[in-house]
Amino acid sequence: MDHTGFKMNTRRNRILNKLKTFLSKPYNVILLIFGIILTFSTFMPIIAIARDTFKIHLGTIDAYLTNKTFGYTIVNYTDLFTSKLAKINLWTPLLNTVYMAILTCVISILFGGAFAFFVTRTNLKFKKYLSSVFIFTYIMPQWTLAVVWQNVFDSNMVTGTSDGLLTTLTGFSAPAWWCMGFFPSAAVLGLHYAPFAYILIGGIFRNMDANLEEAALILDTPRWKTMFNVTLPMVKPAILSTILLVFGSAMGSYPVPHYFKFTTLATKYISLNSKYTGEANILALIMMAFGVIILLMNQQSLKSRKSYTTVTGKSGQSSLFDLGKVGKYSISIFLIIITFFVCIFPILSFALETFLPNPGDYSFLYSGGFSNLTTKWWIAHGDNIPKGMFGQEGILYNQTIWRAFKGTLLVAISCSFFSGTIGTLIGYSVSKRRRSKWANYVNAVAFLPYLLPSLAVGAALFVLFSNETINLFNTYTLLIIAGTIKYIPFASRSSLNSMLQLSGEIEEAAIIQDIPWIKRMFGIIIPIQKSSIISGFALPFMTSLRELSLFLLLCTQGFILSTSLDYFDEMGLYAFSSAINLILILTILFFNTVVNRITGASLDKGIGGN
Amino acid sequence: MSKMILEDVTKRWGKFYAVDHLNLEIADNSFITLLGPSGCGKTTILRMIAGLETPTSGRISIGDRVVFDSEAGINIPANKRKVGFLFQNYALWPNMTVYKNISFGLKNVKEEMPIYDIDAKILNDKIKALQKSQDIVAIAKESYNKDGKLDEERVLMKYIEKFDISMTTAKSILEHKLHEKDNSKVESEKLVRDLQLELKKCREDHEKRSEKLGENFEIIIDGVIKKEVRKLTKEEIDIKVRRVSAIVKIGMFMDRYPSELSGGQQQRVAIARTLAPNPEVLFMDEPLSNLDAKLRLEMRYELQRLHVETGSTFVYVTHDQMEAMTLATKICLIDNGVLQQYDAPLVVYKNPANLFTADFVGNPSINFINAKGTQNEDKSFSLTILKDKEVVFTPEKTFDLNKWKKDYQTRFNENEEKEIAKQKKKSVEKGNKDEKFNYHIARVDETIQEKQEEIEECDYVIGLRPEFIKISKEGEMQAVVYGSMPTGMETTLKMKVDEYLLTCVLFGKEVYGIGEKVRFSFGGDLIQLFDRVSGELLTTGKIEIKEKA
Repeated sequence: MDHTGFKMNTRRNRILNKLKTFLSKPYNVILLIFGIILTFSTFMPIIAIARDTFKIHLGTIDAYLTNKTFGYTIVNYTDLFTSKLAKINLWTPLLNTVYMAILTCVISILFGGAFAFFVTRTNLKFKKYLSSVFIFTYIMPQWTLAVVWQNVFDSNMVTGTSDGLLTTLTGFSAPAWWCMGFFPSAAVLGLHYAPFAYILIGGIFRNMDANLEEAALILDTPRWKTMFNVTLPMVKPAILSTILLVFGSAMGSYPVPHYFKFTTLATKYISLNSKYTGEANILALIMMAFGVIILLMNQQSLKSRKSYTTVTGKSGQSSLFDLGKVGKYSISIFLIIITFFVCIFPILSFALETFLPNPGDYSFLYSGGFSNLTTKWWIAHGDNIPKGMFGQEGILYNQTIWRAFKGTLLVAISCSFFSGTIGTLIGYSVSKRRRSKWANYVNAVAFLPYLLPSLAVGAALFVLFSNETINLFNTYTLLIIAGTIKYIPFASRSSLNSMLQLSGEIEEAAIIQDIPWIKRMFGIIIPIQKSSIISGFALPFMTSLRELSLFLLLCTQGFILSTSLDYFDEMGLYAFSSAINLILILTILFFNTVVNRITGASLDKGIGGN
Repeated sequence: MSKMILEDVTKRWGKFYAVDHLNLEIADNSFITLLGPSGCGKTTILRMIAGLETPTSGRISIGDRVVFDSEAGINIPANKRKVGFLFQNYALWPNMTVYKNISFGLKNVKEEMPIYDIDAKILNDKIKALQKSQDIVAIAKESYNKDGKLDEERVLMKYIEKFDISMTTAKSILEHKLHEKDNSKVESEKLVRDLQLELKKCREDHEKRSEKLGENFEIIIDGVIKKEVRKLTKEEIDIKVRRVSAIVKIGMFMDRYPSELSGGQQQRVAIARTLAPNPEVLFMDEPLSNLDAKLRLEMRYELQRLHVETGSTFVYVTHDQMEAMTLATKICLIDNGVLQQYDAPLVVYKNPANLFTADFVGNPSINFINAKGTQNEDKSFSLTILKDKEVVFTPEKTFDLNKWKKDYQTRFNENEEKEIAKQKKKSVEKGNKDEKFNYHIARVDETIQEKQEEIEECDYVIGLRPEFIKISKEGEMQAVVYGSMPTGMETTLKMKVDEYLLTCVLFGKEVYGIGEKVRFSFGGDLIQLFDRVSGELLTTGKIEIKEKA
């Protein structure tokens, strides 16, 4: 062919051709579009909140200190860091938060890791039951465990409330440090996030090539030595990812420390927000900074960390540790009891609470009369509403609750759809262009919101979307945007992990036959990796169903179920908040079971690969 | 039609050159094997032609279409290159049955095709099949299982294979239940008559619309075949799927999932899936490496047969020189991303371009012997080999060493210039530097390092194929048997000559014991003489030994 003929247009042609080639690959287009969108959606709120810290807010401390009603100032910083209140407003909450996050990580890794070990590597009994029940703590709203903790351990003597179950049954009152403040906050969060550790560490235990251990066995290495030198080092990456996931989430948790009256950055933010808006936003920025630091640390450790890609799972079932006849049963029974209290009991307890005539009135237990129970919280309506219900209709008839329930469902379904779809596409595209810097950037930007504490993300979106020009406050749109941004990481992670396991040839075999991209996705890739992809949709759904910290600042009380809790608590209608908890838990369990039945994908095996 | 040309194609990752300025022309209808050690870049070449990998620079054309040109920025994606690709790990879609695996791509084909009258074709197929009523009955009668029930699945498969028909046609034939009738012949003749009438009516209908039906039931208007851009009909897809599955004999597994098949069966499914859209070019990436030895040999014959039957161009990657030798019309030998030789298998065997190709091709491997000496007036070489043996090497054709050296120098200079020009253009330096092939001289004690002698111009290497060593009582040289491997048909001997080891192959049943003394000579006139400095082949010829040892 004659090259000289089109010399004039060569340059332009070349660029055009290259552009055409680039855009003909769907993953390039996806990365380009979502790279730009996510850059905005992730950084705009951060910038907005950073800008807000310098802004003067009418009627708050900065306006008072500067004597101005508008403009910019650094007084928020100087006041927060140097004033007399610095210790109360900043340093103590900051330290509290870090301590709490660290203890949460330790508890969740020890508990979840030990559980993972027992379930995957020993001949424990009732594995199937334990495995499916264990993740309940994550499925349930964080505060449910906190409420249960209080219902069990509170006592009139120590906390000044009505006696909890422990005191009612035994007369013994738990010490104050066990009931209030630091320890219960960390313990409850630790239990709440333990399923992460279980899923991630268990995933490695499950897929680990048994040959690795068998090789050590052949060399006559004692079992415990194999454990410490072969097995545990394998799990190290999973422990690191657990820390990555748990630390940021624990930091940003609002309801748990709120219930235990423990001051952290999150609770401080809420209490400062109305009068010290600018300073509160600095606290949110500090929380975000932790998220970014964790992300950078993770990138760094990824580079230097030994990569255990030899974990192939090629050989069959590994040999299981023998716990002995007694151990086998006693450990299972022990675990069943623990999981009962942590996972099943909250549900029963909430159900029970809705039938008690007065909160904490367990008198029917010793009086033995079911007549001491009531159904009024559920069915009272019309003219029969008793006085103590402040004119609220019973739960089954209460418009506020059911409107909030519908809102919650709408938000959860939309968040699940958007974040699941976007996350899956991003995971797919990143896996196709692993070497490209842009792909890695998109991946990091998509993941960053996960590490930013929920409350801080909520605060930032509030600043961005609730001002003079755009006002989306208290709309479903805003909640859906927030949820989508925050939960894309669930989907992008699980989809990326599963796509990396899929040999490129599988798709290339279809490309060669000129099968269009849509058909390749729906005909080949999604069916093969369905369980990971479904968990990429299911996790955002369940999480947003019970999310409070993220949505707290973005809507009014009673807009969705989780924000209705406080509304009824403030009225003293604890039966109502128990009922809301119950409705949330049952909804989540219902959807979990449906997804499980229809697709065969189960959460406890879904994330972290197959 | 589908000649492929690669011009100056380079692929590098950072400083690592996987393919280094490759020029290659693949003729239409040929069977090319890309051969080389693992990691030499052969798979990369294949994937670049197929469009699964983007070259760093260069130009590739398939047929008369440029599919890649870095200068013009052209890069036609793999799906538009109309090629078939057979993957090393088969890449079957685990979520689909065998049938779906094969048909998935066909459902998608949308191009200009003649329009067929499917009904007429089915009628015709049926007539043809029913005319062989005795076969229909015989097949059905063979297919009763133990309980005396008819295994319909099996009957249908056999009908499909026997009569080259689709599943629907096969089913409609079975519906007549000819095997249960006493007078099946009469019955079938009656059916045929009815069907022929129907077919005739069908033709008449077409003629009313001033159309005609062609030989394959394509609709012809005014002598021109009517064509339309369309998708394949279900019937056409079925026939295509059945046809390719019959070729690779997987008709019985249509409803199974890939995980329920053995490795060999999976391999066949992969081949069927690749063949189904009738690609003009078929790329194969070590397709047999996951099979056991016996199956591999069997599949090798099948591939050879397929090449003839389909008339497509095959490009085949392998690291197994036996596979390359036996299958290819031309072998393309690659090392470190650089093309070493591109020739017919036997040419490579007889006239290897350099020490690398001589070593890589041939089993057992060639013997290398270092030699020192000069070219005489009569164009023969006087050489000293194996420590102190004086021999004369007579080239087969006249060979002028000085002329060769001059040519070599010119080529060398040209390359240098090109290299310098490249560096001026700021091209990336090759990280994986080309090294001279390190040929292996077998010794008894491999730990003794040859003294790092300066290689001079008078240094040569002799390449001796194992079959060129003739064992006889009259042989001029003496050796001790070091190892002996009889396989029945031939025996491979390792012989010790001083400290050196030579491999030879003998045909016949004679048995040699280890330690036995034998005499041998160098036979044949295809002994190869290499220049030791460059490693390139100088010429071939015969060797005479001056004195008896």
